[in-house]
Amino acid sequence: MTTEKVLIKGNYAIAQAAVNAGCQCYFGYPITPQTEIGEYLSGKMQELGRAYVCAESELGAINMVMGAVSTGVKAMTSSSSCAVALMQEALSYAASDELPVVLVNVMRTGPGLGYIYPAQGDYNQAVYGGGNGDYKIIVLAPSTVQECVDLTYRAFYLAQKYRNPVILLADGLLGQMMEPASFGEYPYPEVDVSGWALTGAKGREARKIYSVAPDEKKQIQHIYDLHKKFEVIAENETTYEEFNIDDAEIVLTAFGSMTRNIKAAMNVLRSKGIKAGCFRPVTLSPFPHNRISELALKGKDFAVVEMNMGQMFKDVKYAVDGKSKVDLINRPCGEWLSVEEIVAGVERVMQGGKAYAANI
Amino acid sequence: METNFIIAGFGGQGVLLAGTVLANAFMIEGKNVTWYPCYGAEMRGGTVNCEIVVSDTEVSSVHKQDTDFALVLNQQSFDKFVQRVKSGGTIVANSTLVAESRPRSDIKYVFAPMTKIANDMGNGKVTNVVSLGVLSSVCKIVSKDFLAKGVEKVLGEKKKSLLPLNLKALENGAASLALV
Repeated sequence: MTTEKVLIKGNYAIAQAAVNAGCQCYFGYPITPQTEIGEYLSGKMQELGRAYVCAESELGAINMVMGAVSTGVKAMTSSSSCAVALMQEALSYAASDELPVVLVNVMRTGPGLGYIYPAQGDYNQAVYGGGNGDYKIIVLAPSTVQECVDLTYRAFYLAQKYRNPVILLADGLLGQMMEPASFGEYPYPEVDVSGWALTGAKGREARKIYSVAPDEKKQIQHIYDLHKKFEVIAENETTYEEFNIDDAEIVLTAFGSMTRNIKAAMNVLRSKGIKAGCFRPVTLSPFPHNRISELALKGKDFAVVEMNMGQMFKDVKYAVDGKSKVDLINRPCGEWLSVEEIVAGVERVMQGGKAYAANI
Repeated sequence: METNFIIAGFGGQGVLLAGTVLANAFMIEGKNVTWYPCYGAEMRGGTVNCEIVVSDTEVSSVHKQDTDFALVLNQQSFDKFVQRVKSGGTIVANSTLVAESRPRSDIKYVFAPMTKIANDMGNGKVTNVVSLGVLSSVCKIVSKDFLAKGVEKVLGEKKKSLLPLNLKALENGAASLALV
């Protein structure tokens, strides 16, 4: 491993980072725009004597990951939008069973089968989940190919550190594009899993991992414990980036690969004398509610820019809680909002107009 | 300062690879660069393109409406992308397969017989590298020397035997306009 920069696709960067992070098993089923992850690992895992299974379905893949990680090894699957929908039941089980599942979602367009255009419509699916019950997933959203590497490393670490499923939420644009990135070494310590992993009960009491809860009191406590754990995660792991925030009157807010577009739009607005800043959550769950509340209390307005019909927009509004104005600049899918469209949208909302769905 | 390029042609002409070489050349030069392909239900013989954005600072957006330079290797790509060149921009076309026409008066046109140059070298497959040579002679920020390093990097150890042929293709492409 080296710090030398290589020109690499987001999908391959995620795959190689998983290898570097010590992922021992990959289970997956092909779907555009993330198929390169499985393609890359199909060869690489064999070379390294690790496990690669092209599963019979997405259901098979995610359940295989649950089985593998329950033995204490690092394992992952990757998929896209409509196929990640099939995995939601398993994520609910994995959260309840406290299994360090790592799932990569390279988003495409929905709802339904949709198509392979890039989109950001799975924010709710990732952050709020489609599984049953009161559970929470850690969600990391890379904005560049370099971050595909860095946040894949972090996903494996956080999953084991907190025994909680982690979703790496990328998008088709990031998966398909190439950009210089360097891998370096896996920067996190190995987590001790010997206290819970199912490694054979020879010489110790047998362990069980299950989610059935016929005892009401224990189940109440279990849910409290899961949520207490997530409070710790929120306290320790909430991360965000901000630019030119101190004197900003309007804060452009985006996640994932839209971040570079809002930064460029911010620079254009600044050159026109508009005091614009940028805010970008790196962890979508836990979400940086507190920081957004602080900024709203200082009177800063928000313009949320995203490729969906306003999903993160609701979280920003919740955090702002009426203390300042929040507008949405969006398109449902396809070609990313251009810098010019974002600038025009911000100018419109600053004059009290609507920038809703820039294209309709 | 940010400049973008669209490279387009038939599937099989090596346009994605040409884009990869160009992006590697910019990376080796120490610039910020992104490469983004059209991706979809493509088929052999259909048209394909990729977009390269190079910038001194962080790249602003990876996929843009219009382009500073379009490098087009077939007629369909010429017809499509001549409309997407910025006013004052340049379209560089493979005149072996593209009829010389100038449908707009606000852009520059460069025609070079790229496929013929490659065929004359005995290998039509290097049309894509010839096209990069042509581009380097009309676009100041594209350096032939860094393109050579980009070609070397993309070929890697496995295909090193093809390096002399590709470097020659680059030279012949760059020299072609002087001959016209």
